[in-house]
Amino acid sequence: MDLVAGRVYADERRPIRHLDGLLLLVTAILIVLGFFLLYSATNQTLRQDRLDPFLRVNKQVLTAAFGVILILAMATFDYRFLKVYAGFVYAGVVVALLLVRIPFLGSTAAGAQRWFEIGGFQVTPSEFAKIGLIIMLAASLSELKHGFPSAQDMIRMCGVALVPLVLVFIQPDIGTSIVMVAIAAGMFLVAGVRGRHLAALVVICLVLIAAAFQLGVVKDYQLDRLRAFLDRQNTPADVRYNLDQAEIAVGSGGLLGQGYLHGRQTTLDYVPEQHTDFIFTVAGEEFGFLGSTFVLMLYAVLLWRAIRIAFLSKDPFGTFLASGVAIMFAIQMFVNIGMVIGIMPITGIPLPFLSYGGSSMLASCLGVGILLNVHMRRFK
Amino acid sequence: MERAGSRLRILAFVVAFMFVALSTRLWFLQVLAGPQHERDARDNSLRTVTTDALRGDILDRDGRRLVHNRQSLEVRINRDELGDEAEATLAHLSEILGVSAQELGEELDSKLYYSYQPVPVAEFVPEEVYFKVREEPERFQGVEVVQQNVRTYPQGPLGAHLVGWVGQINAEEIRERRFEGYGPSDLVGKAGLEATYERWLRGTPGEERFLVNSDGEVLREFDPKPAQPGHDLRLSLDLDIQRIAEEELLTGIENARTVFDESSGTNLVANAGAVVVLDPRTGGIVAMASWPSFRPSWFVRGLTEKQRSLLFESEQAPMLNRATQITYAPGSTFKPFVALAAVKEKIASFGSYYECPAEYVHPGDESGTVFENWSGLSGGTLSIAGGLKVSCDSQYYAWGSRFYNRDLTTGQEELPRRVREWGFGRETEVDLPAEAVGTVPDHEYVAEHAEVYPDGWIPGIDILLAIGSGEMKATPLQVAQAYAALASGRLCRPHLVARIEAGNGDVAKRIGGRCRPVDYSAGELDYIRDALRGVTTTGGTAGSVFARCPLDVSGKTGTAERPPFQDTSWFAGMVPSEDPEYVVVATVEQGGFGAETAAPIVRNIMSRIYRTPCEGPDLGEEED
Repeated sequence: MDLVAGRVYADERRPIRHLDGLLLLVTAILIVLGFFLLYSATNQTLRQDRLDPFLRVNKQVLTAAFGVILILAMATFDYRFLKVYAGFVYAGVVVALLLVRIPFLGSTAAGAQRWFEIGGFQVTPSEFAKIGLIIMLAASLSELKHGFPSAQDMIRMCGVALVPLVLVFIQPDIGTSIVMVAIAAGMFLVAGVRGRHLAALVVICLVLIAAAFQLGVVKDYQLDRLRAFLDRQNTPADVRYNLDQAEIAVGSGGLLGQGYLHGRQTTLDYVPEQHTDFIFTVAGEEFGFLGSTFVLMLYAVLLWRAIRIAFLSKDPFGTFLASGVAIMFAIQMFVNIGMVIGIMPITGIPLPFLSYGGSSMLASCLGVGILLNVHMRRFK
Repeated sequence: MERAGSRLRILAFVVAFMFVALSTRLWFLQVLAGPQHERDARDNSLRTVTTDALRGDILDRDGRRLVHNRQSLEVRINRDELGDEAEATLAHLSEILGVSAQELGEELDSKLYYSYQPVPVAEFVPEEVYFKVREEPERFQGVEVVQQNVRTYPQGPLGAHLVGWVGQINAEEIRERRFEGYGPSDLVGKAGLEATYERWLRGTPGEERFLVNSDGEVLREFDPKPAQPGHDLRLSLDLDIQRIAEEELLTGIENARTVFDESSGTNLVANAGAVVVLDPRTGGIVAMASWPSFRPSWFVRGLTEKQRSLLFESEQAPMLNRATQITYAPGSTFKPFVALAAVKEKIASFGSYYECPAEYVHPGDESGTVFENWSGLSGGTLSIAGGLKVSCDSQYYAWGSRFYNRDLTTGQEELPRRVREWGFGRETEVDLPAEAVGTVPDHEYVAEHAEVYPDGWIPGIDILLAIGSGEMKATPLQVAQAYAALASGRLCRPHLVARIEAGNGDVAKRIGGRCRPVDYSAGELDYIRDALRGVTTTGGTAGSVFARCPLDVSGKTGTAERPPFQDTSWFAGMVPSEDPEYVVVATVEQGGFGAETAAPIVRNIMSRIYRTPCEGPDLGEEED
C-alpha cells in the first residue's frame, strides 16, 4: 500500500502534471490577440502597396509557432541546468552584442545598429540579452553566502549587469537599457539588497544619466521625446505627432471601441509605428476602454502567475528567475502602454506578445518557458 | 525564503500600482475625453474639396453680354505623380512655359495645397502648351493642363463702374457674415454689380469629400455634390446707349478743356464727369457713365504696379463711380423742386410774377450780405416759368428768405422737407455698392456742423438751398431720379438689374417697379416740364445748344460754385417733353457753366438715341 501510495505520490509530482495551465492559456490568448491587432494595424497599408494583407501576420504566426516550440523546449529540462550554464549563456549574449556592432554582420537602421539579418528574419540580440541577464543574475544571487548581497557582491553583480547594459545602450537602444536596469534593480530588491547599497546605486545611476546628457550620448531625437513628454504644450507639432496621434486613437475608442477594423486612426494609418511599439492603440481604438482593460487584465494574470511562481519556487534560483521574468514583463508592459497613453515618455520598448517583431516574441516566450519550468519543478 | 517572500510582496504592490495608473489614465482618455478624441480622429481623416460654380453672366436689356466667363488654361502639377523624374519634368515644363525650373519648384512647395491636390503653377498659358503636354505625356508625368473659368469682358471697358470686378476674398471679408461659407481662395465681387449681386452670381459651390490616410492618399470618395452655376443678371442697361453716353461724356470733357475760364485764369480742368440715363417710367438705368474709368479685365490677371497705383492712389480716382459715389451741389438743376415747394407752401404761385433783381438782401439783414444774380443783371419781373427759363437766382433768394421766415414761426423746416420728397439727402437704394447720400442742410445738419455754420440757423442757408448751392449736395443719380419723378409723377428706386435669371432663362427675381407717387398734381408737374421746355428754346439758358435740334426736350442747366475749384457743370433733361422716355443728366467736375459743357453732352446723347441729327455748338454759351 505504502509502496503503491509512494509511487502514486511520485507520479503526482511528475513535472508534466504541474504545467501552469492558466499561464499557458493567458500567453496563448495574448499571442492570438496579437495576430488580430497586427492584422488591423497593417492590412490597409499592405493592400495599398499591393502586398498580401496577411504578410506581417503570417510572419508573426511563424515566429509564434517557433516561440511555442521554445516554450516547450524551455520546460523540458530542469531549470537548474540553467544555473550550471549561466556563464555560457551570459558569455554568448555578450559576444552577440559585440558581433552586432561589426558593420558587415549587424544591420543598421535609423543610425542604430541592432540586429542580425538571418534568413529573412531579424534577430535582435538585445532582446535575448534581457533573458541572459536574468539567468546570470539569478545564478549569482542564488549563490550568495549571507543570504543577502554584501557590498562586494553588489559591485560584482553591478559589473555583470553593466557589460551587456552598456553594449545595448551604445547601439543605441535606450528602451532595452531601461528594461535591463529595471530587471537588475528589481532582482537586487528581491535578493534583499541593503538600503544604503540601493541608495548608492540610485545616486550612481543619476550621475550616469546626467553624464549621458552632458556628454551628448543621448541623441537629439531622444531629448525631443523627453521634452515632448515633460512639456507637451510647448512642443512643436511634428515632435508631438506620434504622441498626439496615439492619444487620439486610444481616446476615440471611447467605452466600447469603434469595432474591429473600424478604427479611423488605425485603418487610415495615422499612428506611426503602430504595428510595433504602438500596437496598443489598435486595442484602444477598436475595442475601447473595455477592450483595453481586458488586455491589461491578461497582463495582470500573467504577472500574478509569474510572481506566484517566484513565491512557490523550491529554491532561490527559481525565485530569482521567476521574479526577473516578472519584472521584465511588468516594466515592458508599463512603459509601453504608458507611453502610448501619454504617462511615460516615448522609448522604443515592445509590448510583450503583441508588438510585431520576432526577437521580442521569442524572448517573451523564453520568459514564459522559464516560468513554466520553475512552476513544474517546484517540489523538492 | 521568508524574507524573499515579503520582498516579492513589494514587487507585487509595485505591479499592482502600475495597473492602477494605466487603467486610471485609460478611463480619463477613453471615457472622459473620448468624444473630443473621436472628433479629432474624424477631422484627421476627412478632407473636403469645394468645386467652384460657374459665375453668372451680366447681360444688357437685349441679352448682349457685358460680363461672361472664359476658359483659361492652367498648368497644374500632381506632386504624387511626379515620381523620380521630378527634376526632368520641371525642366521640360520650364522650357515650354518660359519660367525657370526653380520658380516652378518654389510654386510646388506651396503649403496651400494638400498633397493630393494638384498645385497650379501657371495660368493663361497658350494652347500650344496644352498640346505639347498631351503629345508627350512621358516627358510631363504628373503635369496636367486644365481649363479654368475667369471673367471676360466682351465690351471691353464699357460699363466698368457698373459691372465692377471680382477678386480673391480678403482676410477682413472672410470674417464678415455675408461671406459665410466662403473659402480663403474664393473669388468675390469687389465692386459694382459683381459685389451687389454676389450671392446670385456666385452660384452654389460643389463639394467633394474624401477619406484620406496619413499620407494624404485618397481612399474613398463620397457622393460629390455638383456645383450649381450662378444666376445671370439681365440689366435695364442698353449697351448702345451706354456706349453713346461714355463717348459723349469723354467728348464733352475734352471740349471743355479747350475753354479758357476767366475766374480761375486757366482752361477748364474738366477732370471728371458722369452721365446718367434713366427710364422715368420704371427707374431702370439705361446708361450710366463715369469718367475717368478703368478696364475690369485688368483685375483678371492681377494688377500691375502701375495699374494699382493709378486705380487706388492717383488723384483722378478712376475707381469712383461719379454718378453714385460723389456728391456735388446741384446748382440750378435744383430750382424746379424749390419752385414746386414754394407753390405747395403757398409762398409762390404759377399765376404770379416775381421780381428778378440783380442783387438780393434778406429783409432786415444788416450784416451786409448780398446775394447776386448769376448774370449780375436784373431779369425784370418773371413768372415761375420765366424764371426757370433764364435761371433767375434772385426770385429763389426771395423764396428762400420767405421759407426761412416761415420756418422761424413754424419750426417745420418746410424747404428741406419738401425737397427731400424728391429723394434728395437719402439713398436712392440703387443696386450699386457704396452709394453716397448727399446732404439737404436742415436744423439737425446745421447743429451737427457748427464749423460750417458758426452762427447756427441763418437765412443764408435757406437762400442758398433755394438755388441748390451751399451745403446742398446730391449725386448725379439723385438728380436723375428727381427729374424722372418730375417726368412721370412717381419717384422710383433706380436700378440696373431688371431681372435675375437662372441658366435656363427662368426668372428668379424681378427688380424695379418700386415707385411711389410724388405729392404733386399732374397739372403742377406739367407746368414745370413745360417751363423747362423753355430752357431749350430761344432765350432759354440752353437755347443756343438746342437751337438746331428738332427733339422736344425739357431741361435745366446748372452751374454750381465749388471754391477753390472751378464750377461744376450740370444739365438735366427729359425727352420728349410729353411723357418723357429718357431722363439724361450730365455732370462735369470743373466743367464751367451748365450750358457750356453739360448741356451739349446731354443734347448729343439724346440726338444719338433718337438718331435725330442735332446740330449745334460743341460748347454752349456761358450761361447758367
